[in-house]
Amino acid sequence: MEEFFQQLTNGLAVGGIYALIALGYTMVYGVLKLINFAHGDLFTYGAYLGLTLLTSLALTDRLGFAAGVLVLALMVMGLVAVLGAILERAAYRPLRQSPRLSAVVSALGASIFLQNTLMLIYGARFQVYPDNILPAATLNVFGLYLPLMRVLIVLASVLMMVALYLFIQKTKIGTAIRAAAIDQDAARLMGIDVNRVIMLVFLVGPALGGIAGLMVGLYYGQINFTMGWVYGMKAFTAAILGGIGNIPGAMVGGLLLGVVEALGAAYISIAWKDAIAFCVLILILIVRPTGLLGERVADKV
Amino acid sequence: MKPRLKWLGAGAFVALMAVAPLFLNAYQVDVLNSIGLYALLGLSLNLILGEAGLFNMGHAAFYAMGAYTAAILNTRYQIPILWTLPLSGAVAGAFALAVARPVVHLRGDYLLIVTIGVGEIVRIALVNDVFGITGGANGIFGIARPRVFGYVIRRPDQFFYLIWGFVALTIFLFLRLRKSRFGRALNYLREDEVAAEGSGIDTAYYKLAAFGLGAAWAGMAGTLFAAKMTIISPESFSFWESVVLFMIVILGGAGSIAGVLLAAFLVVGLPELFRELSGARMLVFGLVMMVMMVVRPQGLLPARGHRFSWAGPQKGVER
Amino acid sequence: MKQKVWALVAVLGLGIAAGAQAADTIKIGLMAPMTGSWASEGQGMKKIVELLAEQQNAKGGVLGKQIEIVTEDDGGDPRTASLAAQRLTTKGVAAVVGTYGSAVTEASQNIYDEAGIPQVANGSTAIRLTEKGFKKFFRTAPRDDEQGRMAAQTIAKLGFKKIAILHDSSAYAKGLADEANALLKKSGANVVFFDALTPKENDYTAILTKLKGANPDVVLFTGYYPEAGLLLKQKKGMNWAVPFIGGDATNNVDLVKLAGKEAAAGYYFLSPPQPQDLDTADAKAFLADYQKKHNELPPSIWAVLAGDGFRAVAAGIAGAKSTDGEKVAAYLHKDLKNFSGLSGAISFDAKGDREGEVYRLYKVDGEGKFVLQK
Repeated sequence: MEEFFQQLTNGLAVGGIYALIALGYTMVYGVLKLINFAHGDLFTYGAYLGLTLLTSLALTDRLGFAAGVLVLALMVMGLVAVLGAILERAAYRPLRQSPRLSAVVSALGASIFLQNTLMLIYGARFQVYPDNILPAATLNVFGLYLPLMRVLIVLASVLMMVALYLFIQKTKIGTAIRAAAIDQDAARLMGIDVNRVIMLVFLVGPALGGIAGLMVGLYYGQINFTMGWVYGMKAFTAAILGGIGNIPGAMVGGLLLGVVEALGAAYISIAWKDAIAFCVLILILIVRPTGLLGERVADKV
Repeated sequence: MKPRLKWLGAGAFVALMAVAPLFLNAYQVDVLNSIGLYALLGLSLNLILGEAGLFNMGHAAFYAMGAYTAAILNTRYQIPILWTLPLSGAVAGAFALAVARPVVHLRGDYLLIVTIGVGEIVRIALVNDVFGITGGANGIFGIARPRVFGYVIRRPDQFFYLIWGFVALTIFLFLRLRKSRFGRALNYLREDEVAAEGSGIDTAYYKLAAFGLGAAWAGMAGTLFAAKMTIISPESFSFWESVVLFMIVILGGAGSIAGVLLAAFLVVGLPELFRELSGARMLVFGLVMMVMMVVRPQGLLPARGHRFSWAGPQKGVER
Repeated sequence: MKQKVWALVAVLGLGIAAGAQAADTIKIGLMAPMTGSWASEGQGMKKIVELLAEQQNAKGGVLGKQIEIVTEDDGGDPRTASLAAQRLTTKGVAAVVGTYGSAVTEASQNIYDEAGIPQVANGSTAIRLTEKGFKKFFRTAPRDDEQGRMAAQTIAKLGFKKIAILHDSSAYAKGLADEANALLKKSGANVVFFDALTPKENDYTAILTKLKGANPDVVLFTGYYPEAGLLLKQKKGMNWAVPFIGGDATNNVDLVKLAGKEAAAGYYFLSPPQPQDLDTADAKAFLADYQKKHNELPPSIWAVLAGDGFRAVAAGIAGAKSTDGEKVAAYLHKDLKNFSGLSGAISFDAKGDREGEVYRLYKVDGEGKFVLQK
C-alpha cells in the first residue's frame, strides 16, 4: 500500500509538468484549431534560456534562492512568450485561412528548425543546471518519499493553472478569448480584435511552456535539445485525453496521464509503460470521443 | 497547365526516370530508391489522409506490419520475399481494419492522436519482441535478396527498376481509383461528411475501406523496404517516419498524386542535398518546410476537383 | 509558381548529380551521427579523427599523400546510414571508420562489403556483426558477450547475491542484459528483477520505487549515461543506498555532471580503459593536444575508439603500401599485431574482432573521478 501511494505521488509530480505544457497546446487549439507541434520546443527553449540566464547573471547568488528563482522565472516566461509570438507571426499567421493541416506541417518544420538551432548554439551534449541551487530537503510523510521541490513544483503548476482558469473565465480579456474560440467571425463582429487575442494566446501558452521547461531544468538538472519532442508528445496526449480546447481538461488529462504511467510501470510492466498509457487513452476515447471534459460538438449542418 | 502539356511533362518524367540509372552513380540511384519508397508510402497515406481526409499520423505502424510479415515469412519459412507481397499487404490491411473499426468515427485531432498511439504501441510491441517473433530491438536480419525471373536483385540500379516499377503501377491504379465511384465517394466524405451521408454514402464503410486499402499498400511498400535493407529493426518505423509521410502528403497537396511524388523528392532529397551543411542540414530543412508551406498553403501541386464535361465555375479545394 | 517548383526540382537533381571529384589525396571516410540523438558522440568522433588526420598529415601523410577525411552523417538511424554508406562508396574512399550503434552499422555493412571498402566500426558491440563472415569488417570496440562475462564475474567477485537488471530496450543494452542474466543465473545468483526503462525521459522515480520494492543487493544498469545519471541522482534523492553497476555506455564524462558528484560517488562501471589511464606517452600527448584544441575532454571512449579505427586504417594503408581494400583488409587481419592505439594495443582476429581483454572495472570516487580498479 505504501508503494502504491509512493507511485501515486510520483505520477502526480510528472503529470503536473505534462499538464502545464498541455495548457499551451490546449489554449492555442481552442482559439486556432491548430496543433502547435513546435510547442514542445518552446518548452525546451525555456529550459535552455533558464540555464543561460541563471549561470550568466548569477541571480540566486545575488538575490537569494526564492527571489532569484522568481525573477528568473519571469524573465524566462517573458522571453519564451516573445518567441511564441514571433513563431505565430512567421509560421502560422500566413496560413490562417489555409487548410488546417498546412499549418500543422509548418509547425513541424518550425519544430525541426528550433531544435536544430539549439543544437548549433549549445552543442549536442547534455547541458546541466548547477546542482547547488535548490534546497534538497525531503519531506517524510507517513513513510513516503516527498522531496520538498517536488511538492513545490506540483503546487506551482496547480497555482498557475488555477490562475489561468480564472483569467479566462472571469476577466474581460478572457471573455474575448473564449468568444474568439467559439466563433472568430462573430467575435470580430462584436468588436473583438481577433488578431490581438491570438497574439495574446501565443504569449501566454508559450510562457507556460517556458516555465515548465525551467522547472524541469531546475529539478531534474539535465536538459537536451530533443527533450521537447518527448514532453510535447506527452502533453499533447494529455490535452487530448482531457478534451482539447478545454483548460480544466488539460489539467486533469496531464495529472491522469502521469498517474497512469507511474501505476502502469509499477503494476504491469515498465517496458510497456508508454503502450499502456496509449491503450488507456484509446479506450477512453472510444467511450468518450471528445476526451474526459471535452464538449460534445455537434457537426455543423 | 494545359492537359497536353501535363501529359508531355509526365512523359518526359517517365523517360528521364527510365534512363536515370545509366547516368547516376550508386549513391544517387539509392537516393532515388529511397525517394521511390517514400513516394509509395506517401501515395498509400494519400488515400487515407488526402482523399478521405482522415488524420493519420501513425502510418509507420502499417508499413512495419508489412515489413515484419515479409521478413518473418522469409527468414522462418524461406518464402521468396516478393511472393510475400500479397500476404504482407493483407496482414497490414487487416490490422488497420481491426484497429480503425472502433475509432474511425473520431473527430480529426482525436483520430490523429489515436493513430499516433497505434504507431507507438506497434513500435513498443516490436521492441519488446511480442510473441517472440520480431527479434526485439535487434530486429530481423538475414532477409534474402529478391529474385525476379531468376535474377537476383542486389545492386541499387536493379532495385531502382523494381521500386519505381511498383510506383508506376501504383500511380496507374490509384489514378483509376480516383476517378471511380469509390474515389469520388472518398472526396465527398472529405469535403462534407454530413452531406455525404445524406446522399446515401455509407461513411463508416468508406472510411474503413480507405484505411484498409492505404494500410495494405503501405504493407507492400514495407516488403520492398525489407527486401532492400535485408535487415529491419523497430528504429526504422519510429514516430518520426509517420511524421515524414504526413509532411509529404500535406506538402504535396492533399489528394494530389503528382504532388505526393514531388514532395517525396523534396522531403527525402533535400536533406541529402544539404549534406554539405553537416550539422546544420536539418535546420535548413526545417526552415525550407516552413517557407514552402507558407508560400504554397494548398500544397505544392494541389489537387483539383473532379472535372466533368460541364466546365462551370469551380472553387479550389478548401476546408 | 509551378515553374518555380519545377525549377527547384531541377536544381535538386543537379545538386545531387554534382558528386565526386578526383584529387591526389587518400580519402578516408568517417560515418558518424552528426545529427539526431547521438549527435554528441558523432561530433566527438569527427573532432578526434580530424585532429589525428591533421597530425598524420603534418608528419607527411600516408604513402606520401595527404589524408582527407570525408564525413557523412548517418543520423543515428539505419536508413540514413545506408544512404551515407552509398555516398561514401561513390566518393572514392579507401576505407571507412564508424559508426556508433550496432543497428546503424549493420545497415551499412553490406554496402561497404560489396564495394570492397574496409570498415572499422567504433561503437558497435553487437555480437552478430562479426559473425556474418564479412572479410573487410573490423571493430575497435569489444563485443557484448565479453562485457556480459565481465559483468557477471565482477558481480560475483564483489559478493552480491540478489541482483536487479535494468536495460533500456535498445539492441545494445538488451543484448548485454540478456548475456549477463544468463551467466548470472547459471552461476546460481538470484536475479530478482529484469525490466526495461524508456530512454530520454526525465523522471525515473516510478521505476526506482519498483526496483526498491524488489530489494536487490545491486542493480546492473546496461543502458546509456543520460539515464544512468538521472537514476543515480534520483536514487540518492530517495535516500536509497544500493550500489549500481553500469556498462560501457555509461562511460561518459557527462555522467558525473548529470548525476552530481555526491550521487555518482560509488558507482561502478565496466569499460575499455580510458585514454587518461593509458600509460603510453602517445595517448597522453594526443589527449593534451585535443584538450588544447577543443578545450574539453573527448565525450566518451567511443569517440576515442573511432580515433583508433582511423589509426588502424592509416597503418593498414601504409603497411599494405596500397589503398586496395582487399590488401588493406588482409594486412589488418594478419600483419597488424599489437599496434599502439589510444585505447591500448590493437590486433584483429580472423573475424575482425579486437583481440585481448579490453574491459576494466571503474569506480567513481567522491570527487567525481573515474578510478581504475585493480
